[in-house]
Amino acid sequence: MAADLATERPIKLARGRRERQRVLMGVGLILPALIISLLFSILPLVYLLLVSLTAESSFFFAPEYTLANYAQLVGRYLPALWTTIYLAGLASLLDLLFGYPFAYILVRQVRYRELVRALMIFPLFGPLYLAFGMYYLLLPNGPVGGMLERIGLQGVTLLYSLPSVLFGMALFTFPFMVMNIGAALSNIDPQLEEAARCLGASPWQIFWRLLFPLSRSGILAGLLMCFGWNLGVHAVPLVLGTINEQRVLSIVLYQRGVIQFDYGLAAAMGVALMLLAFGVTWVSLRFSKGALGA
Amino acid sequence: MRGLRLRTVLQHGYIWLWLLIFVLPFLTTLDYSLKSVADGSYSLRAYRYVFGSFRDTLLLSTWATLLTIVINLLVALPAAYALVRFPLPGKAFLLSTLNLALYTPAVVMGISLVIVYNYVFDIAQSFTGLIAAYVVGSYPLMLIPIIVALRDLPTAFDEAARCLGASRWQTFLRVELPLLGPGVSAGILLTFVIVFNEYLVTLFIAGPGTTTAPLRVYGLIRTAGFQPSTAALATTMQLVSFVVVLIFFRLFGSRYLKGTYLI
Repeated sequence: MAADLATERPIKLARGRRERQRVLMGVGLILPALIISLLFSILPLVYLLLVSLTAESSFFFAPEYTLANYAQLVGRYLPALWTTIYLAGLASLLDLLFGYPFAYILVRQVRYRELVRALMIFPLFGPLYLAFGMYYLLLPNGPVGGMLERIGLQGVTLLYSLPSVLFGMALFTFPFMVMNIGAALSNIDPQLEEAARCLGASPWQIFWRLLFPLSRSGILAGLLMCFGWNLGVHAVPLVLGTINEQRVLSIVLYQRGVIQFDYGLAAAMGVALMLLAFGVTWVSLRFSKGALGA
Repeated sequence: MRGLRLRTVLQHGYIWLWLLIFVLPFLTTLDYSLKSVADGSYSLRAYRYVFGSFRDTLLLSTWATLLTIVINLLVALPAAYALVRFPLPGKAFLLSTLNLALYTPAVVMGISLVIVYNYVFDIAQSFTGLIAAYVVGSYPLMLIPIIVALRDLPTAFDEAARCLGASRWQTFLRVELPLLGPGVSAGILLTFVIVFNEYLVTLFIAGPGTTTAPLRVYGLIRTAGFQPSTAALATTMQLVSFVVVLIFFRLFGSRYLKGTYLI
């Protein structure tokens, strides 16, 4: 008994100290990343909140605190808010509609997955080039425009229109949707589908009663992720949209903030956008099976 | 039997249709950059600008991207180690904090950085500010693949190296780092693709001396409309990005990009 007590303490102390040393070393290793995050990611957001509560650019000189910016946001700029949300929502639904079959075929049938993944990277190079390229495509004397005129549609109306904006937005976030659904689908045993088919299920039944329930989390994660990304869309509505689509928050934010120096209002929009995007993305990560064990 | 073949054809056709659609904007930009406005003939004339007045912009973009990649490596490697191999409290919270920039819309990051750069740090429109924004926005993309690679790396290897007498540094440099190669390369690839083509945050924080190539494209679209020269610049950017991607895929495949949700 006494001997045990005598030997127990030294061992515990040593383990405790080594543990603490490792924690300290871990903290030291992660410190640069934390500092950069703090200074350039978190601190700016705090200031964003502060500035959103001041009038115009008064924050930089003699701050006058007011809630007028938020009042304007839900008053005069409510259409902008609404346009942002419903454009993002529609584009995400489009992604789901076209992306689900794509993901299914990719996971089940296709062997040249690497090639597909490589080509899927193209939209990620930037919505700017996407918008640019689509603009050329849809120009009246361009390839698609020519085809359309033969059918009788005017090329220009397709160029500056809601469908082309939606298409551009959906194209950019398509890979995200495919990735999420693909991950969910690859966890479903193909033998389940075979069994269902043997038991006489039609393709629709297989989808609706087998695949859909089992891939629900992937669908939700994909929808939310695409929605989050599409909330911040800027280039596509600017290049391809009519004045209606250009009411998107990120465009208005830039105009009011950088061009017209109404930093208070722009900051308020930024806060609103951030809350929306952050909330959506956070929920989506809860549902998706990330490699980070989320 | 025939019905089955038709369905397979349709399925593969669906995939290829969408792949074509993905590449189409690039192809049209390429086509436009090669055509002369006057007579529709094909030539490389517009690419003169790429080596002429756009050259400095392209060099700036490349330099900024490379610098960002290096800083990302220096910041993310230790952080990844800390998160995977060391006992830290509140890891999930730390990870969320570090990845915050990924969830922040570009315009929000832009406007908040403008405020802070002007008011707190006094680095408005500077190159330092540019690099700082790029680093904070892209090192999560370096962090995540390295974490994934580290997690899959069995500790047996460096334990064996330590048993055989290697020091900590030697183990790291000669055993772990090479094994982490693909994960690190995935991070480099993603950082490159995102930073090289980044224009929205740049729109807010760049100044006359720090105009990157994508920002230049954006400015040209807004001022000069759609010119072959602009298209040439855009095509060059995309080509460079695509070649880098291809090289990565050739060497490593897409396995290590899995956790990042970008592919």
